[in-house]
Amino acid sequence: MSARLYTDTDKYAWQSEFPLVEAYNSAVKDLVRKRFAEFGGEWRDFVAGAGETAITKEDLLRIEQRVLDYGYRFEPSAISSAAERPQAYKDKGLNQADFSFEHEQAPTAAPDAQGRELRGAGDNVVTRTQTVVGIARYVRTSDTVLKYLTEGVPADTIAIVDDSGGTLTAPVLEQFKGVLCAGGTTRSHLAILTREYGIPCLMNVKLSGIKDGQRIEVECTARAKTGDDYASGTEVPARVWRLA
Amino acid sequence: MSDYKPTYAQLLETNNLIQQNADEVYWLCATRTVQESKIFPVSAYILFSYLNCYYRYPELLRKIEAQMSMEEIGDRARNQGIKIVAWTFPCFYLLGREMLINWGLIEPTDAVEDVSYVLDCWKRFQLSWHRNNGNLTNRQAGHRAQVMPEQKLQVFHADAFECREGDALHKAAQGFLAATAQYGFLVSCESRLTLHNYGPYKVGDRREMLVRDFRELSESDYPWLDGVGADIPYNNLTVTMIVEGVHINLLDDWGSFESVPELKAEHMVGVGLYTADNLSEGHVPVGMGSAEELTATFNDLTSRIKHATSLLWKTMAGWTRDQQLDAGALTYFAVIKEFAHIAGCYEVDDWMKIDERAERFRPLLNDEYGNLFLGELVGYISSPSQRLHDYTMMQHNDNPTRSLSYFPYSMLTDGQYTRGVGPMRPGVSNLPDKQDRYRTSRGVLTLAEYNRLSREFTPTLCQEPYRFLCADWVKYHYDTPQADTMFKLEQQHSRVLKDKGAGLRREDVEALRGRT
Repeated sequence: MSARLYTDTDKYAWQSEFPLVEAYNSAVKDLVRKRFAEFGGEWRDFVAGAGETAITKEDLLRIEQRVLDYGYRFEPSAISSAAERPQAYKDKGLNQADFSFEHEQAPTAAPDAQGRELRGAGDNVVTRTQTVVGIARYVRTSDTVLKYLTEGVPADTIAIVDDSGGTLTAPVLEQFKGVLCAGGTTRSHLAILTREYGIPCLMNVKLSGIKDGQRIEVECTARAKTGDDYASGTEVPARVWRLA
Repeated sequence: MSDYKPTYAQLLETNNLIQQNADEVYWLCATRTVQESKIFPVSAYILFSYLNCYYRYPELLRKIEAQMSMEEIGDRARNQGIKIVAWTFPCFYLLGREMLINWGLIEPTDAVEDVSYVLDCWKRFQLSWHRNNGNLTNRQAGHRAQVMPEQKLQVFHADAFECREGDALHKAAQGFLAATAQYGFLVSCESRLTLHNYGPYKVGDRREMLVRDFRELSESDYPWLDGVGADIPYNNLTVTMIVEGVHINLLDDWGSFESVPELKAEHMVGVGLYTADNLSEGHVPVGMGSAEELTATFNDLTSRIKHATSLLWKTMAGWTRDQQLDAGALTYFAVIKEFAHIAGCYEVDDWMKIDERAERFRPLLNDEYGNLFLGELVGYISSPSQRLHDYTMMQHNDNPTRSLSYFPYSMLTDGQYTRGVGPMRPGVSNLPDKQDRYRTSRGVLTLAEYNRLSREFTPTLCQEPYRFLCADWVKYHYDTPQADTMFKLEQQHSRVLKDKGAGLRREDVEALRGRT
């Protein structure tokens, strides 16, 4: 037994951009059709009355379970999500010892005359007068931040981070010599904070082959990427080199 | 047929207010930022908050307006500062409505009385808050936030201490700005809801002033600041910044700005520090007796804030995902909770709980679905409800889409609509209970004391005869005793302008600062 919903007649018959969203939203709609049909009354009585209790948390848990039963695993954002439910989320290798970003779009080139090997590029937050040289260290988990908070950040650390938020590295950010962030824009929270602290930073960086502990040089002398650059799709790459 | 009957004029206005927000949703969300976090499931908690707003805002706003009108709350906000409510207040609510339409749980014709009321509250608040520039939003003002009156700006201008990159005050101020912004992002669960910029205001050749509010730094409404914020002696701090050789060319309805050229530390040449809340007579100077005192004050506050940052980070990094989801959702949902404080009717269960009608959707809100559905709603504008006819060219992207659904006018003849979501339901939270301690400008209070004092107190400048003495009145009456008294009230704590009255122009203020 299933009822028709107001939005079931839609001249422009559109579907969500992403299959997971379409699957979830369609499943919820199916549930509403079923429960409204079972209710048997007017919509106005259902919507702010029975409808508010007819759809339950247990119903929605079953929708998720159906998706997981197909073998689907969610893309994690927060560390806690995958840590609490490894059976529901993909493993992003956060605890992999020999991790390195291997972005397909990372520009690479053989070593130049100074022995600098191009291994990536990103969007510069603030134009500095000198490039910055330091030791690449991946900072991807709260355990790493807690270690740095307890023992201090190793000297000359150029932190390589996944996301553009300002919270993961909050208690130790000030101690980094530089930051390379694989996401975000020059308007993101992390960019705002590095600007305030005067720390050289590239956002939306694409890297290849840079391992923890290697010496790198960051071209923070490049032109800073502006809102107009983003709006017009203009690329203003600042380079990252691995040093011998 | 419902006994509530919207008129054609009401629906026209409601749809107009929806559209004004719809235009800004895409521009702000698609061009201004990318929100990510390894600590917080940000998109998931944002969606969760939208649902809570949809189910709770109508009743909470009615409860507030039973004590105080939105227009009067707007007056208070202009006098003391407020959190970022311009876009958040209506859009969080309307995006909750959009989610439920796309889930089939409501029709676009549902809750018409609620939606009209919430948007009318927003309109009346905004017009009052922004009455000095006559615009509903910063967007309407060409992305400027010139909300403060001349008498307040003169005090901020006059009392700001000159500083230059490399000197002790400049270093202390920069250190404070960086540490407090970082703490603010953490307090508000990776959002920028604790930071708010106003301005720019012209203070001289090649000089502009930016006013930056940092709010909710101490023990106040968030349970996660109990203990953590105990050593921070002010809940709200306002930094006035004079910048030189740079033009603030955009200040949006999130309180964020852009400048030409890019604002750097070297551009800041003047700074001041104040605190204000709904129990203070406007902005009260903090450490403003001398440049040396202000330097020491900034350094002391920075040290306290860094300590609180470490404490809070350790707390939050140890939270379960459900706790992170709750804290983020409550931070967004409760963006207007200051209205309840101003009105003296704040209750913990109203603002720090997830309504059970929103709570049931928790299982849907995994990280990936959260990112993608939020992306569809505010960035791609690609949910089925957002698709319009093929001739449509949406502002900013020319696509046949619209961020937020209108009410169909057919409701006026077929009567097929519902009024609202009804009373609030019990709420839940996985966070520790809030301790009964609230840092205010009158000290640390219990909530009962805080509500009582809020109901009893009206700042002098928000009372008759001053409440309606606006800039347009001052222009023609600056030489009257009433204008003089009003300016002197604002100047009562000013180091430079105390008792100077209403006759000064900007050049006079600059001369009193020793700059001609």
